[in-house]
Amino acid sequence: MARHRRVTPPEEDKPKLSIAPLIDVCFLLLIYFLVTTTIKQKERDNSMALPSAAPSEAQPDIQPFFIKISDEGHIYANVGAAEELLDTEAQGAERTLPRLDQRLEIYAAAAKAGNNKPLVQVYVEAEAEQQVVSDVLNHLAKHNVSTVTFTDLVAQDEQHK
Amino acid sequence: MSPMIDMVFLLLIFFIVNATLIVVEMDKKVQVPIARYSKNQETKMGRIVVNVYSDEHAGEGRFRMADGKKVFADDEDMVDFIKKEKERWDGKGQKARLHLRADGKVHFTYVRRVIRAAAAAGINEVIFVSLWSRNN
Repeated sequence: MARHRRVTPPEEDKPKLSIAPLIDVCFLLLIYFLVTTTIKQKERDNSMALPSAAPSEAQPDIQPFFIKISDEGHIYANVGAAEELLDTEAQGAERTLPRLDQRLEIYAAAAKAGNNKPLVQVYVEAEAEQQVVSDVLNHLAKHNVSTVTFTDLVAQDEQHK
Repeated sequence: MSPMIDMVFLLLIFFIVNATLIVVEMDKKVQVPIARYSKNQETKMGRIVVNVYSDEHAGEGRFRMADGKKVFADDEDMVDFIKKEKERWDGKGQKARLHLRADGKVHFTYVRRVIRAAAAAGINEVIFVSLWSRNN
């Protein structure tokens, strides 16, 4: 009786997925992206509604808080005889304006107590730097004031042109 | 297995190429101010980017579009651009907002001109772009 020998196919004949080149390509891509990527700082938003662009007939229920920024970057509250110097420059890496912060905190709390939306009017002199304006807007954002009017009390811009 | 991987890669490349990425371009010449209480950008939709350059880089144009190359000829040109962009976003059902990238050193008189142009074009929401910190 003939003996039946089970024939097993040689290893080379089995279909195989070679994983090594795939890994090589993946590593190459990884290295390429690592080298070409530059880490950029993410820019952030300080979003403000400017009602001057959409004027309303209705008078606001709350007296707006008035801030003035001078050419030198000094921050004042109120206008005319009631004008009061608050801060002369931003402090520290966080650029805080302590006295403005304090006043805004009181104003925002009063507005909240009266169930009103806090309103702020900002008058900026023509040569004030945008960083100082940003410092003020930053403090407004801190106290959840999102409605700001940039007033043009004096047409100084035109004089500076 | 190999044809399947091939197909997956082809599909992946197809979708990567066809994806419409909304990118808000950032010109490095504009050093935006620092503001600790600014918020992360939640959506890039509806943004109309205007760059305002400091005196150092204003030679080629004080007011420029997102790419930093196209310069606005005058304020009227800026109003026209913002109006067109607003119409484009309105058509897509998105609220148009001014994405104002003004250099920290720029005088506010120039920033005010952009805000006025946006107001003239009917935009009442302005995003003042800032960084959390200069070093992080």
